[in-house]
Amino acid sequence: MPRLTSKYFGELDYSADDAFQFPDGIPAFEDQTGFVFIDQPQTHPLVFMQSLGNPGLCFIAVPALVADPTYRPDLSPEDLALLGLSPEPPPQPGLDILCLSLVTVSEHADPTVNLASPIVLNLRNRKGVQAILPSSGYSLRQPLLVREDLAPCS
Amino acid sequence: MLVMRRRAGEGFLIGPDIEIEVLEVSPTRVKIGIVAPNELPIVRKEVILTRQENLAASRHTPSDTIAWLSERLSKPRQPA
Repeated sequence: MPRLTSKYFGELDYSADDAFQFPDGIPAFEDQTGFVFIDQPQTHPLVFMQSLGNPGLCFIAVPALVADPTYRPDLSPEDLALLGLSPEPPPQPGLDILCLSLVTVSEHADPTVNLASPIVLNLRNRKGVQAILPSSGYSLRQPLLVREDLAPCS
Repeated sequence: MLVMRRRAGEGFLIGPDIEIEVLEVSPTRVKIGIVAPNELPIVRKEVILTRQENLAASRHTPSDTIAWLSERLSKPRQPA
């Protein structure tokens, strides 16, 4: 079983099924083309998008349907082609593809999720892309939770 | 913001080297042609916004915040 050095969990064994190829990387990280998606029982439903090329690069994501139960992204033909999918029949979320939203946590603001540019994974060929949906009406910074009940740190 | 009305086939210049032409107009989108020096980066605005958001999302998140996020997301919202 291959092993990786992860940012948040140290050394981890991972299954080849959890490794995805991003042919174009993602904006700002175009040179990072391999990511492993880590879903640990103690941090469920968070999914950690760990770069294989850079142990210090790991995004925190949630399944887009956790952030918005009605989430239905309209993927462009270009993104579908990158994933090796065709528009007809449309890919089935959960069966053919999985949409994740990256979480942004800042010190003085409530955490937000990026629903306007979801990470879309083709579960059948393990290719991934960050789809950009400019006119979808989805937000780059959709509030995820309100921080008022974050327990003060000891 | 400078606002200009143009029809398909019409264009305008920005400085001496950049030419923008409206190629096609449909009810929901316009097709635009750009002639500009090769060294000038031309990037869709939403890609720039995604890039900025990705940089923000890549910052380190403390472990207590991760634990809080996971706990709050895994159980149904408490009624207010």
